[in-house]
Amino acid sequence: MILYVLRRLASAIPTLFIIVTIAFFMIRLAPGGPFSLERPLDPLIMQNLERAYNFDKPLWQQYLIYLGNLAQGDLGPSFTRRDFSVGDLFRTGLPVSIQLGGIALSIALVVGVFLGALAALRQNSWVDYMVVGTATLGITVPTFVIAPLLSLFFGVMMGWLPAGGWGTWRHMVLPVATLALPQIAIIARLTRGATIETLRSNHIRTARAYGLPAHVVVGVHALRAAILPVVSYLGPTAAALLTGSVVVETIFGIPGIGRYFVQGALGRDYTLVMGTVVVIACFVIAFNLIVDILYAWLDPRVRFD
Amino acid sequence: MSDAAISVERPVAGRSLGQDAWLRLKRNRAAVASAIVLFLLAFAGIVGPYLTPHPYDRIYPHYVRTPASLEAYPKADTIEPSFRSALERARVEIGDVEVSGNVVRAPVSSTEPLDPRIVRYVDRSDMFSNARLEGEDGGELEAGATSGVMVADVHRVRFLFGTDANGRDLLARILIGIRISLAIGVLASAMSLLLGVSYGAVAGYLGGRTDNVMMRVVDILYSLPFIFFVILLVVFFGRSFVLIFIAIGCTEWLDMARIVRGQALTIKRQEYVQAAEALGVSDAGILRRHIIPNTLGPVVVFVTLLVPKAILLESLLSFLGLGVQEPLTSLGLLIAEGAANMRGAAWLLIYPAITLTTMLFALNFLGDGLRDALDPNDR
Repeated sequence: MILYVLRRLASAIPTLFIIVTIAFFMIRLAPGGPFSLERPLDPLIMQNLERAYNFDKPLWQQYLIYLGNLAQGDLGPSFTRRDFSVGDLFRTGLPVSIQLGGIALSIALVVGVFLGALAALRQNSWVDYMVVGTATLGITVPTFVIAPLLSLFFGVMMGWLPAGGWGTWRHMVLPVATLALPQIAIIARLTRGATIETLRSNHIRTARAYGLPAHVVVGVHALRAAILPVVSYLGPTAAALLTGSVVVETIFGIPGIGRYFVQGALGRDYTLVMGTVVVIACFVIAFNLIVDILYAWLDPRVRFD
Repeated sequence: MSDAAISVERPVAGRSLGQDAWLRLKRNRAAVASAIVLFLLAFAGIVGPYLTPHPYDRIYPHYVRTPASLEAYPKADTIEPSFRSALERARVEIGDVEVSGNVVRAPVSSTEPLDPRIVRYVDRSDMFSNARLEGEDGGELEAGATSGVMVADVHRVRFLFGTDANGRDLLARILIGIRISLAIGVLASAMSLLLGVSYGAVAGYLGGRTDNVMMRVVDILYSLPFIFFVILLVVFFGRSFVLIFIAIGCTEWLDMARIVRGQALTIKRQEYVQAAEALGVSDAGILRRHIIPNTLGPVVVFVTLLVPKAILLESLLSFLGLGVQEPLTSLGLLIAEGAANMRGAAWLLIYPAITLTTMLFALNFLGDGLRDALDPNDR
């Protein structure tokens, strides 16, 4: 088990290396640079700037310099947010995004699994129809529609909650709801489908035949198998939620890191884009590993190899 | 049993299958209702912009953020002050403004002879048209007269959905947005259909090393974040309508290629393909005549669910400011503008949001209905 984790962590390094390489050369392919403004800078200043940031060196040298800095944990200075290093930006922004995404994820997991299991147990009843209908709604309506509508209704019209901003728990309610709703919908759907299938399987029939009480059959044996598709769905989703959502952060004015990728790419903030790519890649790799471990723990048929 | 096998293998004789699917679809009420809604939306998007009295890019400076209303603007109580303020710029003495029906008139006088060109001050307003100076008795204004009556027609306009922050009719903009969104959805799906089916069929049919390399390429492309790809395309080629659907089509064909490849792998082992090979039909011929037509069942199902996905992606891009450019608009862009203006102008958010949601719902229900109707595993 420990050997397996170590091996997976070791294999993450080449993966990360490939991602960084592709991203580095792709963003450099784009025309323009961080200092190309509407009014061109004085050539001398431009020269000095380029020398200061090593832009005058050939691309492969810049790439090696970046890799060297990255290996020491230095993500470089941000070009669009002067006086901040990319590391600083993530140190302040990442906790916000993780907090927001983490709460949304936990709520989505608990509510989604509960609703899905409930719908499966009461299949074709009104509870089932309600859950399936709400799930369809949650999957169809995009985040960038839900977010401003929630903000408009609860924030502007009713004045119950702040329409945007960050600070107290009251600021978190609407963005968490926006992030959680579609996930609740998807998780409920997945759980419902898997539970219905599991309830028909042999080991559940055996458990029932042994005369185990219904709550043990469902709560322990059925749910453990039914939650498997949810777990594999959660890997990439958790990574995406914890690294922030550009839509939610833009609409509610939240100082997370979700906006950095789009902003950085548009402003040719090379280091910020690269930093975002590295952070997201780390999260994806970490959660894929967590999911695989969880999977083996939940499903005894899966073995580490 | 044998009948079913023949109809599956020969698409020409598959009419009974199609009829069967059609019957199943017609029995699905949600799908039928969705089809009707979609038809109406498509009609509104194609024909609607020609029917609205306002062009989608016409700016009415006097009607910025006008609330949605069934009544025509200007409202009665705003006519007089607007007329007065327009006339004040002409630097003339203004008497009592009198409104009767669609005509507004006010006596004007000046110490110097009235210049007939002052009608332009009134005409310039969105609210009045056909301004003219008349003599006090209602006849022609004599040259050199120092007093007369300024008469103008009140220009009545309706903004059923209100106007946006620049004073453009929201209804006209939503109609154009529907057109753009639907067009991008259909074109992007068509593009990913073309790319995905040909790529997947070639990979699956040729198999072996070619298949391996081709599918590894798909895997690599799959791992690149979509937004990254689109931003790169946008900065290379600038923002345009064509680019958006190409970008979406280029990212959405990967799933399609995988599905078609899987199908092709099974189909190529069928006897009729082997028979064609034995008869010396070329690879291209077999692909065109046997492999591709027989993969189309699952592909059609997938495409119907691809259209709403493409529309959603386009809206997201527009929302982020990477989509179509002003004054052209799309539903995503309208929602973004609505979100920015929702304090005090909630209709700017609500109408586009309802339109997009309705469209996505209808497309999803129709897609689900088609899947249920066409899915051969669900018989």
